[in-house]
Amino acid sequence: MIYLDHAATTPLDPAALQAMLPWLQGEVGNPASDHAWGHAARAAVERARGQVAALLGAQPEEIVWTSGATESNNLAIKGALEFRGLRGAHLVTARTEHKSVVDSVRQMESQGLRVSWLKPDAQGLIMVEQVLAALAPDTALVSLMWVNNETGTINPVEALAPRLRERGILFHVDAVQAAGKLPIDLSRAPIDLLSLSAHKLYGPQGIGALFVRKRPRARLSPQLHGGGHEQGMRSGTLPTHQIAGFGEACRVAGERLAEEGARLAALRDHLQQRLQQVLPGLHLNGHPQDRVPGILNLSFEGVEGESLRASLGDLAVSSGSACSSATREPSYVLRALGRDDELAGASLRFSLGRGTTAAEVDRAAARVIEAVGALRGIAGAGSAVPVTPPVNAHGYPAAVWAAFSHPVHAADLGEGAVAATAGSPAGALRLRLQAQLQGGRIVRAAFQAYGCPVTLAVGEWLAGWLEGRRPGELHLSAADLRTALEIGDDKAQCALLGEDAVLALERQMSLA
Amino acid sequence: MPSYLDHNATTRVDPRVLEAMLPYLSGPYGNASSLHRYGRAARDAVEQARAQVARLINAQPGEILWTSGGTESNNLALKGSTDRAAPTRLLYGVTEHPAVMEAAESLKERGWQVEPVAVDAQGLVDWPAFERQLAAGPVRLVALMRANNETGVIQDVGRAAALVHAAGAWLHVDAVQAAGKIPVDFEVLQADLMSLSSHKIYGPKGIGALAVKSHVELTPLHHGGAQERGLRGGTENVASIVGFGVAAELALQELDERAARALELRRRLERGLSALPGIRIFGAGAERLPNTLQFALAGYDGEALLMQLDRKGFAVSSGSACASGLGEPSHVLIGMGLDRDTAKGAIRVSLGKDNTAAEVDQFLQALGSFAAP
Repeated sequence: MIYLDHAATTPLDPAALQAMLPWLQGEVGNPASDHAWGHAARAAVERARGQVAALLGAQPEEIVWTSGATESNNLAIKGALEFRGLRGAHLVTARTEHKSVVDSVRQMESQGLRVSWLKPDAQGLIMVEQVLAALAPDTALVSLMWVNNETGTINPVEALAPRLRERGILFHVDAVQAAGKLPIDLSRAPIDLLSLSAHKLYGPQGIGALFVRKRPRARLSPQLHGGGHEQGMRSGTLPTHQIAGFGEACRVAGERLAEEGARLAALRDHLQQRLQQVLPGLHLNGHPQDRVPGILNLSFEGVEGESLRASLGDLAVSSGSACSSATREPSYVLRALGRDDELAGASLRFSLGRGTTAAEVDRAAARVIEAVGALRGIAGAGSAVPVTPPVNAHGYPAAVWAAFSHPVHAADLGEGAVAATAGSPAGALRLRLQAQLQGGRIVRAAFQAYGCPVTLAVGEWLAGWLEGRRPGELHLSAADLRTALEIGDDKAQCALLGEDAVLALERQMSLA
Repeated sequence: MPSYLDHNATTRVDPRVLEAMLPYLSGPYGNASSLHRYGRAARDAVEQARAQVARLINAQPGEILWTSGGTESNNLALKGSTDRAAPTRLLYGVTEHPAVMEAAESLKERGWQVEPVAVDAQGLVDWPAFERQLAAGPVRLVALMRANNETGVIQDVGRAAALVHAAGAWLHVDAVQAAGKIPVDFEVLQADLMSLSSHKIYGPKGIGALAVKSHVELTPLHHGGAQERGLRGGTENVASIVGFGVAAELALQELDERAARALELRRRLERGLSALPGIRIFGAGAERLPNTLQFALAGYDGEALLMQLDRKGFAVSSGSACASGLGEPSHVLIGMGLDRDTAKGAIRVSLGKDNTAAEVDQFLQALGSFAAP
């Protein structure tokens, strides 16, 4: 596998694992227990707190442990607003924030919070002046991410922070994608609250932190009540092993930050150049310069996103945020940048990391070039090339996969053939069937298609089915297609498209 | 030889649990929400663990939500199940864990009338008073723990469930201390919500679960992402979830054996303690967890005893680890009607599956030497 999805999660650093293991092998204390075992665990927790603080230029007592960035973002936004009793106040944030910020803010919005949702420019950037212009007399909080998780674009949070401080407005920064990638110095940048996640910087999953400034003190209402851990800001038994691993991961990240950044920027630029040299119709999502080193997000004209992803085999990249990929909606971040649904859907985020080699980047580029070429061919732009993706990594039904991965009927038969096209109203799916008639029989059939793998499989299967049949004998329902290709309810529309295409072809043949 | 006798605070990770976790700590598994292949492998592991945790309490896998631990489970249960309702009354047992008490108290700000449920001197619900309380007006939720973390007293939550449901309310059961020590059956107990924690049953810290019946409308605490059917945002903590699953499976398999061993050791401890003058065992008249014993020695300062025991290498506690160092007497014992001085002298011994009779004897010997008149 070529793993270029480090913005979703990173493998655990070996040093971090070593720091965790003692707490999973025999050591037993609860850091809150007042005996030798508990004290040993507490000492490990405090050592790690120092390591996390050091990466940020913060004081150890400004670090509050959480279960991850989602909790950190929830605690920062809800906690700050609830403490001030300003549920009805005003907040400024951006449309391109992480889902956990967007959903926390929406939750408060439903309780009366007024929100300015800033729209980024086409490169995903939010400007300082744009934030300042959105402020209202009762603005209680500004929440802005340092680095966008999909595009890698860097927002000018360091320039913005003093401008908000002088106005007395609390500033929360989601720094999940910035920490360990960009230098962060909170002794200089007057940011009040800052969210971190361990598993984005080679630490374990399930642990995060919220920086809460002491001077001037940022105050929060706790969101998890209980034993009063973490200075009353976040109750719950501290997971010693997770915390020890997070601390060590921060230490390693700090040490390697400059060198690794330069290496990843060079690899990323190489990947981008390689793809742009060979493939026309590419669009960069994100800022060409103000971007973290490891991230490249591109939209591919003329290919459908799901088929593109399915054609990548064991190349692990992300299409949009991993957190929302279960919903299969085009990325709201890319739409906020002005991309239409089609281009937003046909986007890939490559995120390079510590293990990534130049050879892997070359193989990834070759795989993408091959897949995009093949899918554009099948869609009718250029000559049809078989896709032959190496593995069915996304669990398509065997019959769908067989037809999708070996499309022997993808072709343009030209003028001599009868052709008919069916499509979904929005143009998200398109299937063109063609038939060459000789002696009252179809002697050759072919298809062209734009759509998901199931759509392409329907085209391939139908072309094979048509060969040898007579016009007038083409009785095939969507239900037959679903049975033949094991198509589930979620893809029923692909079978209907197939039925429509056969009916349209029959009509064309009767006219001809 | 040091002895760890504080298993209700936390337990050692079982080596078999760690073995199951390691591939997810050092392997290329990725974010469980990502769609690519390794994400799918991680998702399968998460679902297997869900089934294992469900089996421990005879719940359906679909009823299990992952959380970061018992505290989050209790917060999610109380706040999440009341969020969409017009505020009425919420009742919780006076001996509940701080996570339940504090979460309940926080709801006052949202207009809820929050009332404690009284217990008798043994720590058991005062049933006639409870019935009167339920009848006194509309109630949305009642929170009662299955077993108390300090005294080990087991509450008849099944009896409570019938009364609570008859009053048109839901029952939340904190089963953090009970699960893995005594049989806990989500169906039989008729609970609507139930909290579990991994690190009390030889699994890793930082992971827990909330069992939720499908009729309970829950609002998430952590918004963001579609994880856990939109009820709990955040990237899944795959290694810890897998560890929790294996810990739950082992707890179920070895439940009888662990309980029998613990009970034998606790009886040995009780026999030894009975020889000491002025000994008082809390909740002695009630059914208790087999591993838990909380006591006081009349005339001795509990805190000084704890310090001396710690120096000798015995890890025990006064009560909840969460409240350690606050110097406040246990709210559990106060709730049972004890005076502050007696409560302040409390020492809790909580035995684990790897403790031995020799450790119990050494503990008794040490205690005897400190407590000598």
